[in-house]
Formats: sequence, C-alpha cells, structure tokens
Amino acid sequence: MIGYKFLRQGGRSPFTGFDWPLPDGGPGPWHEARVEPCRSGIHACRRDDLPLWLGRALYEVELDGEIVEEPTKLVASRARLLHRIDAWDDRLRDEYTRVCADRAHDLAVGGRPPLTDWDAVIEPSIPEGPALLGFVAARIAEARGGRTAYHRERSRQARWLADRLSL
Amino acid sequence: MTESLDHISCQELVELVTGYVEGALPAGETALVEQHLNFCEGCVWYLEQMRGTIAAARRIGVGDIAGEDRARLLAAFRGWRTP
Repeated sequence: MIGYKFLRQGGRSPFTGFDWPLPDGGPGPWHEARVEPCRSGIHACRRDDLPLWLGRALYEVELDGEIVEEPTKLVASRARLLHRIDAWDDRLRDEYTRVCADRAHDLAVGGRPPLTDWDAVIEPSIPEGPALLGFVAARIAEARGGRTAYHRERSRQARWLADRLSL
Repeated sequence: MTESLDHISCQELVELVTGYVEGALPAGETALVEQHLNFCEGCVWYLEQMRGTIAAARRIGVGDIAGEDRARLLAAFRGWRTP
C-alpha cells in the first residue's frame, strides 16, 4: 500500500525522533516495527489525512506486512520511503498557508453574524505555518456549521493538497 | 473528554499529557494529542518541558535530597489534594 509521511528536514520523525533512512536515487531500506497504533509501528497517512499531519518534508512511503487503518492514519509493520515529494516545498507551504488564511477570513466574516474573535486570530497565526492555518480554517467552519462543516473543510484542504502535489 | 471528537484544546492537551508521555492513552486520544502538537508550538514546548522534568527527576535519588528538604517535599505531597 502506498501512503504518505511527513518528516522534519533531514528525515527525523516529529513524534518519535526516529531518523528515517532516506531514499537516495531509489527506495530507502525497509524498516520494521511491531504494530500497535500510536505506540509502535510505522505511521503514515492517506491522501485525505494530509492536512492533519503537515510537516516540513513529505515522502511517499510503501507500507507492507500488517497494516491497520485508523480514522486519521495508517499503521504498518513494515515500510520504506520511496521518494521525497519535492512539490511540497517552502513556496507551496506558504501558498497553502495563505489559501487557508483567506478561506478562514471568508468563513469568519463572510457570514452572519461575523465571527470577529475568530477573524482576529488568523493573521497572527500565519508565522506558525500551514498546519495551524488549516486547523484555524476548519475550526471556523465548525463554529459556523458544526462537526460536518469541520470535516468538509478538512476534505477541501486535502483536495487542494492532492491537486497541487499531483497525488 | 472534549466537546469535539475531532480535536482538542491546549487545556485538554495538558490534561492528557501525562498519559501521553507514559504511553498510556488509548490510540484515539494519542492521535488527537499528536494532531494538536502538529500545529501548536506552545504545546510542543510544554511537552518538551514535561519530558525534561521527568528525565531530571529520574536522576535524583533519595540520598540526593537533604533531610530538611525531603521533609518539606513529603509534607507538600501529603498535603496535596486533587480538587
């Protein structure tokens, strides 16, 4: 199964600190771990999960062995990085951040009543990057339309990313 | 735990962080903590401080604490009550 994995620059996992062996002209070596979601195993995400896990560098990852599908992620017993998705660079991160900020403004002040408290947090959040702005936009959508609107906004973000990353 | 099943606030993360550090949370709550950490730099720093404190405390033995300080600490622990 093909999935996606966000890592820090250099290939370090943001949560476990594991240093992934990076692909170098071909797939990286296989790595194995016992599957226990959120505790052990190799965690990756599907295309629809991308907005939840945005990080600095994005890799396509091949999952094998036992694979557990969780609501927001995949956990496998065996995986290797296939290649870095170069389209996810600083320029696209900034563009996505701006798209989410503009969307958040539309959601906050484009309806009635205007959500001015929410609107005020958007611009100061931009330096924190795309993951926060995506969340802010989804939360404002939720403030307007409840959980369904939150998920709809997350899906919209996932479609934008998949389109721009050609996934 | 939270009014939304899809995300948690910083305050809720603080309530869950001990379980997260100990690997004692159910998978769903762990995922919510990590999603929050993915966009909240402040909570990342809080978690790092928590981990640093735990690591430092593990290096301290009973013999490392002077008698008077030990008595004060024990008195504080015994007087502490959860709300």
